[in-house]
Amino acid sequence: MKLLTKYNRVNIIATIIALLVSGICYYFFIRYELISQLDKDLKVEEMEIIDYVTLHRTLPNASSYKDQKIGFELLNNEPINRTVTSKDIFSREENEKITIRELVFPVQVMDKNFKVMISKSQQETNDLIQSILLITFTIVIALLLVLSIINRFLLNKLWQPFNATLLQLKQFNLTGKKELQLEQTRINEFADLNLAVGIMSNRVNQDYESLKSFTENASHEIQTPLAIIQSKLELLMQSENLEEEQGRNLQSIQEACTRLSKLNQSLVLLTKMDNQQFQQKELINAGKIINRLIKNYEELITVKQITIAINLAEDCDLTMNEMMADILFSNLVTNAIKHNIANGTIDVTLTRQQLIIRNTGPDLSTNPAELFERFKKGNQGSASLGLGLSIVKKICEQNNFSVEYRFEKPLHIVSIQFS
Amino acid sequence: MKILIIEDEKALSESMVTYLTSESYLCEIAADYTTALNKIDCYDYDCIILDIMLPGGSGLQILKELKANHKLDGVLIISAKNSIDDRVAGLQLGADDYLSKPFHLSELSARIAAIIRRRNFNGNTQIKFNDLIIDTQAKLITLKNVPLELTRKEYELLLYFVSNKGRVISKNAIAEHLWGDDMEGNIDFIYTHIKNLRKKLMEAGEADYIKSVYGMGYKFATQ
Repeated sequence: MKLLTKYNRVNIIATIIALLVSGICYYFFIRYELISQLDKDLKVEEMEIIDYVTLHRTLPNASSYKDQKIGFELLNNEPINRTVTSKDIFSREENEKITIRELVFPVQVMDKNFKVMISKSQQETNDLIQSILLITFTIVIALLLVLSIINRFLLNKLWQPFNATLLQLKQFNLTGKKELQLEQTRINEFADLNLAVGIMSNRVNQDYESLKSFTENASHEIQTPLAIIQSKLELLMQSENLEEEQGRNLQSIQEACTRLSKLNQSLVLLTKMDNQQFQQKELINAGKIINRLIKNYEELITVKQITIAINLAEDCDLTMNEMMADILFSNLVTNAIKHNIANGTIDVTLTRQQLIIRNTGPDLSTNPAELFERFKKGNQGSASLGLGLSIVKKICEQNNFSVEYRFEKPLHIVSIQFS
Repeated sequence: MKILIIEDEKALSESMVTYLTSESYLCEIAADYTTALNKIDCYDYDCIILDIMLPGGSGLQILKELKANHKLDGVLIISAKNSIDDRVAGLQLGADDYLSKPFHLSELSARIAAIIRRRNFNGNTQIKFNDLIIDTQAKLITLKNVPLELTRKEYELLLYFVSNKGRVISKNAIAEHLWGDDMEGNIDFIYTHIKNLRKKLMEAGEADYIKSVYGMGYKFATQ
């Protein structure tokens, strides 16, 4: 829920409750005031009648006007009290039900008791109350509307520095090497926020830089000793009088050394990709690259007696780094050859939208979803590094391709959707 | 053939010297930037092995000096950095080849041989080994004047062997030379290729030059 929505919701509910309560109070207050006014008028009439009776010792004429009626009734000894009531009657003139305010009081004329009834129409009062309330409510609702519109604009403007900072944070990219461009604001809270965000991003940038240079330096430093080991091993191998066992040991060291060096190279490659060092893109033709790769590994395919079916579209042009394209397709093709079985099959299908490589191979012993993670291998005992597919995944991520692996016994299927 | 090795890591440059000297190259070492500059000023070399990161300066600067002075020395860059930028910069500045550390000495030797061949291609581009003649320009092999039918990889394998004749070449070095870096893991398939090449040579009436050495690798030698 947006802050503005939440704020407006609370605001509107509170305003409506306050409005209702005050409206009710207002209604009763106005009504009370107006009816007291009516009662005062009635009292004036009462006084006039009593004065008249005292002066003339007779009752005045009964009268019936539109807004005031005076009537008398002879009482048969039962005493009555002075009462003022509101009641609804049917008015023949108006042809509808109307409310009247009636004052009833006793008066004595020549030893006879009379009941005097003075009634005034309360209709006008009611109409007045209605009008007043209607106007009041209209004004209040208009006010509420105006306020909420102002709030909306005002809040949007007030939050603008926050939104600007948020946008910067969303676009924050460690590898972009861009400093955050935080706007100046006079609002203390946002100025504090910007200050904190600025300090944090600088620290993150510094940490990232030092981590990056550490990784780079470490892998460079590893290459030189590896080169020395490699060269000394080769010199040792040239020794004339090696025994067979020494030879085998040398071979083991040699293999371990090669693995270490390839591991290092793969890690350097992944680091470089993380650092976006392969941004230079050009138009490449996937079909040509895959074709060249398959030609390069022709002999290996023959040795394993693998049947290969190739179906390459000629018009699959992709905009990506050439070296990345090479590594991507090479990893996939060599995987299909390396992890194949004797007399197996490979099926490579390339269309404009996708590349699908299906190959036979031994059953998978790990979870297919984990295969793209670093150092995950289909078969833990194998001599491969388990970095190939994570490199594939990284390249796909950087080019917005989606890559998928599934195993449909005995076929391992890797598909890449371009675009 | 004179070779200058510009490399600050003593152990590594010594290995190179040992390996290349027995290939009858004449090797000199320069361990820092200034020594290297002095040497290339005073002498001409058939090939210079150039490390990019040197105490006192960059190998790329030395390369610029060489080209500015119109020196014809072949240049092979070796770098631990293995960065595309260095590779591209080096080759654009006129280096002949690029090899990233760690490398196999047999690979180094084959690359140097190729550079030297290309440098004096006015002269002889043929390599002779007993009755075997390899024409590196036409990529043709003849045995006692009869052309030998080889696949591209078999040709490369034979050339690699001849460039490192008398040496034990490890299986890894062969696999990397023929198929690049991507063939990690099991490399037993090398055996089949060696077997095929051996068979073709022997069927053409040549002696069995390729010998397996204790599972370490192979050696191309007359005996």
